[in-house]
Amino acid sequence: MSALQPHKVLDCRGSFCPGPITELFKAYRSAQLGDVIELLATDPAAKADITAWAQKSGNEVLDVVDEQGYIRILVKVTKKRS
Amino acid sequence: MEVVRIVIVGSGDGGTFTANLLASELRQEIRGGSTSVQLLGEHLAHPFQPGNLDIAFKGAEPRKYVRDETRLLRRGIEFIQDPAVKIDLDGRRVTTRSGRVLPYDHLVIATGAVADPSKVPGLAEGSLNFHTGPEDSRRVWEALQGFGGGTVAVLIAGTPHKCPPAPNEAAFMLDDFFRKKGIRDRVKIRFLTPYPRAYPAEKVSNVVGPMFEKKGIEVNTFFNVDSVDPAKRKVYSMEGEEFEYDLLVAIPPHHGADVIVDSGIGDADGYVPTDKGTMKVKGQEGVYAIGDATDIPVSKSGVVAHLQSVVVAHNIVSEVRGTHDELAYNGRINCPMEVGQHKAIFVSATYESPPEDQTPSTVKYIEKRSFAMIYWRALNGSLERVFDMFFGQTRFPAEAEQHLPPKAS
Ligand SMILES: Cc1cc2nc3c(=O)[nH]c(=O)nc-3n(C[C@H](O)[C@H](O)[C@H](O)COP(=O)(O)OP(=O)(O)OC[C@H]3O[C@@H](n4cnc5c(N)ncnc54)[C@H](O)[C@@H]3O)c2cc1C
Repeated sequence: MSALQPHKVLDCRGSFCPGPITELFKAYRSAQLGDVIELLATDPAAKADITAWAQKSGNEVLDVVDEQGYIRILVKVTKKRS
Repeated sequence: MEVVRIVIVGSGDGGTFTANLLASELRQEIRGGSTSVQLLGEHLAHPFQPGNLDIAFKGAEPRKYVRDETRLLRRGIEFIQDPAVKIDLDGRRVTTRSGRVLPYDHLVIATGAVADPSKVPGLAEGSLNFHTGPEDSRRVWEALQGFGGGTVAVLIAGTPHKCPPAPNEAAFMLDDFFRKKGIRDRVKIRFLTPYPRAYPAEKVSNVVGPMFEKKGIEVNTFFNVDSVDPAKRKVYSMEGEEFEYDLLVAIPPHHGADVIVDSGIGDADGYVPTDKGTMKVKGQEGVYAIGDATDIPVSKSGVVAHLQSVVVAHNIVSEVRGTHDELAYNGRINCPMEVGQHKAIFVSATYESPPEDQTPSTVKYIEKRSFAMIYWRALNGSLERVFDMFFGQTRFPAEAEQHLPPKAS
C-alpha cells in the first residue's frame, strides 16, 4: 500500500461532518476513473460514511489506517457516470 | 500624517459588520484622520439572505428583506459602490471596476460565495432555486401556486453551499405548504442529497430523518448530481442513479467570487485559503478573509461570518494599536432549521465538538424568527453583549491555540 501514490490528498482533520465527505465528493467530481484519493480525518463518522458511499456507489475503499489521533482513508474511483 | 488604511472588500453580512465594529472601536483614530475604513460593495441593496426561504415557500415580499447598505453603516466608513476587479496581495492594493486603486495596510476579504446553477449541465434551465437572490426565490413561490400535483424534488446540487440546513428546511416548508393547500396526498416530495443521511451530522439526522419519514418526504442519499435533462424532466447522479421530477428545487453548486478567481488568490473553487483560527489569509500579514469567502470547512452561514468578523476586527485593532493580543475563532456554528409546523432546531458545534442531540421546539422556532428581526440591528454591533451570552465561548487568545477545550464525547 505504501507504494500507492494518491492523486489527491485531502486533509480534513479538525473538521466534522459534513467536512470530510464534502471534500471527498469535490475530489470525486474532478477525478478520473482509476484515481486514488487519500483523506485524513479526525471525524469519527468519516470512516463509516465513506465506506457506505463507496459500497452504494460501486467505488472502492482500498485501506483505512489508524494513525495517531486521526484516520487515513484511501479511496479508488472505480465508478462514475461518463 | 501617515494614515492607516483599512480596506474591506464585500458589503454583505461579514463585510458590513466588520466595518461597523472597526468604525466603533477606532472612532477616535478615524475622527482624528489617522485611520481610514473603506468598504467596497457591488450593490446598494443589502439582502437578508435567510429571508429567501420565506419568499420561496411562504410568499413573503422580497422587498421586506432588503435594506439600503448606506443605512446600515456607522459614521466614519467610506462606502464605495464600485466592485473590486483585482486584489493584489503582493502590491497591497485593490483595483475597482471604475479603475480606482485603493492601497491598504489591512485588508478584509468578505466577498462571499456565489450560487451558480450553470455549473451543472441542464440545471439552470431545469430547476428553480432560492439561493441566487430574492427574485429567483419569488419564482419558486410562483411555480408553487400553479402546482397541482406530481413530484417535487429538492436537490443538493453541490457542496459546500450556503446554510447547510436550508435544503431540509425547503423540504419541510414544501410539506407544510402542500398540506395547507390540501393537496399533500397528490405530491411526492423527494430529497436528493449527496450525504449519507437526511442531514450530514448524525445527531441532527437522527431528528430530521424520522421526521421526513413521518411526513412522507423520501430521502435518496449519496446522490451527487451529474446533470439534469429539462426536456425529460430527469436528474442524473455521478453514481449512476436517475429520478424524474415535475418541479425541481435545487441548491446550486457554489464557488468563490469572480474577483478571487481573477486575482489568483483562491483555491480551485475560488475560496480563499485562510487560517481557521486567526482568519488570516495564509502566507499574508494584515490580510484577513471571513464568512463564505474562506476555504475553511465550516458552515457557510451568517452566524459564522458574524463571529469571525468579531475576531478579525479585534485583530486589526490590535495591529493598529500594537497591542499584540490576537484572537482566534473556535469554529462555533449555530444554524437554525425550521422543521415545519412552527418548530425548529439549532445545529450547534465548534471545531472540537460535533453537533449535539436536538429536540424540535416552538421556542427555537421563535428564536429563529427573532434573528430575522434583529439582523439589521445586529449588523451595527450594538447587540454584541447579547450574542456573547447567547453563543458562549466563540474565540480565545490565538497563542493558546494548543489549549483548545477538550473534545466532546
Ligand atoms: C436561503 C438561505 C438561507 C440562509 N439561512 C441562514 C440562516 O438561517 N442562518 C445563517 O447564519 N446564515 C444563513 N444563510 C447564509 C448567510 O446568508 C451567508 O452565509 C452570509 O450572508 C455570509 O456572509 P458573507 O459576508 O460571507 O457573504 P455575503 O453576505 O454573501 O456578502 C458577500 C458580499 O460581497 C459582495 N461582493 C462579491 N464580489 C465583490 C467584489 N468583487 N467587489 C465588492 N463586493 C463584492 C457581494 O455583492 C456581497 O454583498 C442563508 C443563506 C441563504 C441563501
